[in-house]
Amino acid sequence: MSPDQPVVDAINSAIDDLNEILDSEERLGQSPEIALIGNDARLDSLGLVNLIVLVEEKIQQRFGVAITLVDERAMSQSKSPFRTLGSLTDFVEEQLNDHGR
Amino acid sequence: MAANTEREAIVWRGSSFSYQWLDQSWRLWRSRLESAGLTPQSVVALEADFSPAAIAALLALIEHGCVVVPLLRSARGDRQRTYDIAQAQHRLRISETEDWDLAPLAGKADHQHYQTLRERGHPGLVLFSSGTSGEPKAAVHDAVPLLDKFRTRRPAWRTVAFLLFDHIGGINTIFNTLSNGATLITVEDRSPDAVCAAIEQSRAEVLPASPTFLRLLLLSSAQERFDLSSVKVVNYGTEPMSEATLKRLRESFPNAQLLQSYGLAEVGILRSKSKSDESVWLKVGGEGIETRVVDGILQIKSPSTMLGYLNAPSPFTEDGWFVTGDAVEVDGDYLKIVGRRSELINVGGEKVYPSEVEEVIEAMANVEAATVYGEAHLLMGNIVCARVALVESEDEGKFAVRLKRHCRERLPSYQVPVKVSVVGRELIGERFKKLRTHES
Repeated sequence: MSPDQPVVDAINSAIDDLNEILDSEERLGQSPEIALIGNDARLDSLGLVNLIVLVEEKIQQRFGVAITLVDERAMSQSKSPFRTLGSLTDFVEEQLNDHGR
Repeated sequence: MAANTEREAIVWRGSSFSYQWLDQSWRLWRSRLESAGLTPQSVVALEADFSPAAIAALLALIEHGCVVVPLLRSARGDRQRTYDIAQAQHRLRISETEDWDLAPLAGKADHQHYQTLRERGHPGLVLFSSGTSGEPKAAVHDAVPLLDKFRTRRPAWRTVAFLLFDHIGGINTIFNTLSNGATLITVEDRSPDAVCAAIEQSRAEVLPASPTFLRLLLLSSAQERFDLSSVKVVNYGTEPMSEATLKRLRESFPNAQLLQSYGLAEVGILRSKSKSDESVWLKVGGEGIETRVVDGILQIKSPSTMLGYLNAPSPFTEDGWFVTGDAVEVDGDYLKIVGRRSELINVGGEKVYPSEVEEVIEAMANVEAATVYGEAHLLMGNIVCARVALVESEDEGKFAVRLKRHCRERLPSYQVPVKVSVVGRELIGERFKKLRTHES
């Protein structure tokens, strides 16, 4: 499944905002393989929380839908949706679909 | 301390340090302290992190009768202010490469609690804790009653030094481990992968950690990438735990007991017993410890309670109970920690004072007023949020970036607001401030 471009754009714009706040060595790229959590991740836990909140805000602005990415559902998935940028994108799409988009 | 053996006392950066090494090392430290002319009851700021030299120095300082102020070497903030509050007379700094440097400071150490220690001839420990005043409070302990509970022998379990060196939890880990002849396993950093790698390599049996870290660990699936089967006890504390996270932990650590601890810089870590592995209810007690709940707030009377604060009024009731400020629910003998009654925001176990962050935001150009409040977040417990009224209108997204950058330059990262909203000027004033407690 190739991701929906408006969702990718929203997430990229969240990353742009995040990169403006981060120190240069922490900045994120925008390819789906980028690790968000685990050994290869550049973000610390606060960086991850900031990214998640920014993505929620961008989705709200662009789709008019309030999604919550960190909830019991995200916590209970056997494969964390926050492994990579790609898995995060899939998870955002899933949530948007649940909202009947 | 179980001395004179080849038993492993500390694992640091992949190397093992025996009790025999530790025994020799702290004796060497004592002679260094003596040659430096340190008298008993000197107040010494020990700037370090978990390492063999730091632990040996800590033991030597206490044995020498000093008052130790453990400080994290890497901590940001106004170090001079910390020395001033502690009235520190010396600073012993142990570097990342275990080099050391002992220098005099200007402190007078004439506070009445220090006088009390002098009269008793006892060593002391000063631990900083969070308060509502906006400045950390320095709790002065008599080290003798504080460390007395470690005389009772407990199982000698290999324990991860996860909690911080300058926190009551970290100090408790050191003494609990070493007094039982067990092994303290230090970690390179506190990421899930580094901690899990240390557990796997050193076959750690006890993991004392915060709920935030444990949630992060579960989210990162580190438990599937490392062999954590050696873990017998997962000990959590410092912030409220959710039952959902506890259930997930149960599944990920099927062979481990899940135990909640209750401790504060002011009273030490108390013996506690969870109702069951999957319960957030706990019984707090142990030798000579009494608890009562007044107006929903837990109060404690314990022989290991601090003498008092250096820089804040007495938090004791007239009849000598320490008012913890922790709101609790009660069910028979069991308690459930609901959170702090005060408006402190607990971000992953780190405390944030709204007023401190508001002050920094209000120093920005074009900002009229700011209100900072916490919002529950499953990952970090809480996140810091800010509502800001502007003088002249500005693009909200760009302003949020500007605010975060401004705060990052001036505050530790956990204090920087994650959510920023711009509100109308009509919200300024009394009602604006009230929103912090009523709407967050």
